[in-house]
Amino acid sequence: MNGEVRDLREVIREEMLMRDKIAGILKDGPRTVPEIAQALGHPSWEVMYWVMGMRKYGYVSETGDVTEEGYHRYRVVAREGN
Amino acid sequence: MNYDVLVVGSGIGGMESSLKLGDMGYKVLLVEKEPSVGGKMILLSKVFPTLDCASCISTPKMAATWHHPNVDVMIYSEVEKIKRNREGGFKVRVRRKPTFVKQALCTGCRQCETACNVAVPDQYNFGLVARRAAHIAFPQAVPKKAVIERKGSSPCLFACPAGVKAHGYVALARAGKFDEAFNLVLEDTPLVGSLGRACFALCEAECARGVLEGPVSIRRIKRFIADRYYRLHPEPDHKAPEDLNGKKVAIVGSGPAGLTAAFHLARKGYKVKIFEAAAKPGGMLRLGIPAYRIPRDVVDRDIKNVTALGVEIETGVRVENIQDLKNQGFEAVFIAAGCQGAAKLGVPGEDLAGVFYGVDFLRKMNLGEAVSLGQRVAVIGGGNVAMDTARSALRLGAREVRVYCLEKEGELFASPGEVEAARREGVKIHHARGVRLIKGEHGSVTGLVTVAVKSVFDENGRFNPVYIDGTEEETAADSVIVSIGQRAVLNFTGGLEELTGANGRLAVDPDTLATPVPGVFAGGDVVTGPSLIVKAGGQGRRAAFFIDRYLRGEALEGAGFDYRLPVVDKEEVMARQQSYKTLVPVEKKEILKERPDDFTEVEIPLTEEEARYSAGRCLDCGVCSQCLQCVAACPAKAVDMEMKEETVEAEVSSVIVSTGFRLFPADAKPQYGYGKFRNVITGMEMDRLLAPTRPYNTILRPGDGKVPESVAFILCTGSRDQTVNNRLCSRICCMYSLKHNQLIMGALPLADVTVYYIDIRAFSKGYEEFYRQAKGMGANFVKGRVAKVEEKENGNLILHYEDIDNGGKLSRAEHDLVVLSVGLLPNTEYMNLFDGEELEPDEFFYVKEADEDLNPGKTGIDGVFVAGTASGAKDIPDSILHAGAAAAQAAAHVERMRRGQ
Repeated sequence: MNGEVRDLREVIREEMLMRDKIAGILKDGPRTVPEIAQALGHPSWEVMYWVMGMRKYGYVSETGDVTEEGYHRYRVVAREGN
Repeated sequence: MNYDVLVVGSGIGGMESSLKLGDMGYKVLLVEKEPSVGGKMILLSKVFPTLDCASCISTPKMAATWHHPNVDVMIYSEVEKIKRNREGGFKVRVRRKPTFVKQALCTGCRQCETACNVAVPDQYNFGLVARRAAHIAFPQAVPKKAVIERKGSSPCLFACPAGVKAHGYVALARAGKFDEAFNLVLEDTPLVGSLGRACFALCEAECARGVLEGPVSIRRIKRFIADRYYRLHPEPDHKAPEDLNGKKVAIVGSGPAGLTAAFHLARKGYKVKIFEAAAKPGGMLRLGIPAYRIPRDVVDRDIKNVTALGVEIETGVRVENIQDLKNQGFEAVFIAAGCQGAAKLGVPGEDLAGVFYGVDFLRKMNLGEAVSLGQRVAVIGGGNVAMDTARSALRLGAREVRVYCLEKEGELFASPGEVEAARREGVKIHHARGVRLIKGEHGSVTGLVTVAVKSVFDENGRFNPVYIDGTEEETAADSVIVSIGQRAVLNFTGGLEELTGANGRLAVDPDTLATPVPGVFAGGDVVTGPSLIVKAGGQGRRAAFFIDRYLRGEALEGAGFDYRLPVVDKEEVMARQQSYKTLVPVEKKEILKERPDDFTEVEIPLTEEEARYSAGRCLDCGVCSQCLQCVAACPAKAVDMEMKEETVEAEVSSVIVSTGFRLFPADAKPQYGYGKFRNVITGMEMDRLLAPTRPYNTILRPGDGKVPESVAFILCTGSRDQTVNNRLCSRICCMYSLKHNQLIMGALPLADVTVYYIDIRAFSKGYEEFYRQAKGMGANFVKGRVAKVEEKENGNLILHYEDIDNGGKLSRAEHDLVVLSVGLLPNTEYMNLFDGEELEPDEFFYVKEADEDLNPGKTGIDGVFVAGTASGAKDIPDSILHAGAAAAQAAAHVERMRRGQ
């Protein structure tokens, strides 16, 4: 589904690089992982790592609603302590 | 240390054995290689068949183990060797790995983790999500203390003579934390802007990425960081410390070594004064390097980093006697006068008007003094100074600049980039040519005679050029600039002859930089000879450290300056990934035109996007980057980057091996697509998706974040399977899959669940009822082996299987998530534990029990017992039961030893 399979470690390492780009995309409103992937031009499974890493460390959270296609939307949140 | 029993491994079996023995009054040493006790059970969602919360059951046992008065737990430690001692017990050697966090101070607040800038796969979530290099293993960890994963010093960082944490600032730049990156560099050197331009980047030569498309552009990233910071902060943010210690230090020379030493000493509260002979401060930064490489405003701004701390720089004053400085109340002196003298060529005509020396020429030019070169300039030498000289001569108006060097093409001391830039600007380089004489008329240069070089060094490697007679050539020249080296000019050591070494430079202890004269230290080029800015800066930093110790009355020897972990093996770094995406370095861009006529900076800086992209190429060799954000973030000041590994030895009477099992690697069944199809996961990963501390906060497909509607389970993946050499039943994959079925149907009521099975082995108390319960909730059971899995464009998966209940026909079914119910494999790490005795494996490589029916837990070594899944696949109740038996066996053995039997 996503073309090239990159090494997991390499994808995860790029979270730090992609964080600001994803936050920039989400400034325009909540997005699903496939929508963010399309905006970034990266496969959804890679974006999944970045968004879930950001979620784990308090940069984004799910909005609570699920699209008809079955996807959560994510939005930028203010990090505790930042 | 003496214990009754050593327990190796703190999974549910190891904890159970330890607690039972502790309750009986035996002293137990429990060794766990992870940063928390709990093993794999604490990572589960719930347990079968009761569907009790795994955390709720595990955490009380974990806490009880950690706090038990008779159980000492060593976490993040590994048993290296167990050897029989003379008393019949065992001598144990344990390696306690450094956590780099003082466990007594850490409060488990995770501030270090949130500040960390290195993302790595989270092994406690089986790679479903990232964690940080600084991390707490998982939310229920016991002890709940952070550890920092450091595999060693990253090669870039290890290579830097100035101690600049290259990996650290690269990681910060990657994250867009440019201010933090600048301040990290500033921790070690005030010369951020200058080094960002003129450093020869020994770090890049060691960069592991160099074996791929080329090293990370570390220097240019630093330049970007410095330029950005200086643009936003024309004046430094830092000030002189409020509490000065009342002691004065004099520094002779304001080059890289002197400025760096002053910077570090001033930060420690010393009143520092620099004496500079030239009219302007900066030493070689200003007077030796042309402005097209380091603009003067950058040098000025770097110097402001020093003077903002209260350092006074007096220019135009030549120190002639060190003793005078001491008489002025300076309690220590650091001599960093550089190498201001020029090496002579020693050929006829060298005294003609129009003969210059590179270092003098550059100094005059950089001070704005007039230098008349004429139209045709010959430069003698093949080093960086020669290239600087030649390129500067072009900018001063020379129409023809020729460089004559002894070395063959490709063997010059000058960096290849400088040589290429000189060529592109129009400098003609004549290789393997020496100078016979400089010709002149009326006392002025008119040309020179050069000769071909046969060899530069003799058979002993000493500089001893040999020329080929008869190859002389004459070339017209209006001036000759000799740039063949520099030497120290020691005109300030009056009365202190012991300062001078045999090589004509200052003699110092190479570790402390102390001269034989108490209180007088020296470093930089005046000690080492002509070197690099970054090396001189490193000497200044070193000198400051030892001057501080000297003035505080502390011993200089063995002080442990600049401790760094051993450098990480680059092959080990590269082996962490199976493949690498090609990430081409940003091309170095310079404005190089023929015959340039001004000193405008030639290198084009990286853009922010380029800087972040370049930083994103970093492989995080040492894992922790040493960006030190964790140190700044920790409210308890618990981070200790100098923590070292320890070896602990203990005597024990008995040993329980409780090293657990390994999960079958699902990619060993490639027909199921694990690792290739992102929506194919393992049973353990499904457990994580269902756990209270789940990585996605709900059940989602890892491939795209979709809530799954149709989930398939493939039982017996890697168990009961001769094709992967594992004919054993896992004993648990049926039941944990039934657990997953019920939990998924509870969490996602609309989801379909299908189980592909050979037979359901529901053999223990309540298991059959558990199976029926899953069926009753709506799980669909299909009897048949799955042959292969294919992926559709939308990430859904097509299963090809044999439908046994419908005549054995080959069928296909589509699901949007597939769970491989992987089996168990033996953890063979126990095989290396014992020295002199063999802990015998059974035919499947689990620990062999001598008689598992009548004597459970007893191994082939007297006094050594096995607990839990180390002896074979078991579910949790059986593991606990087995661990209890092992504890009883160990207790009986200890009693027998006490009675001398």
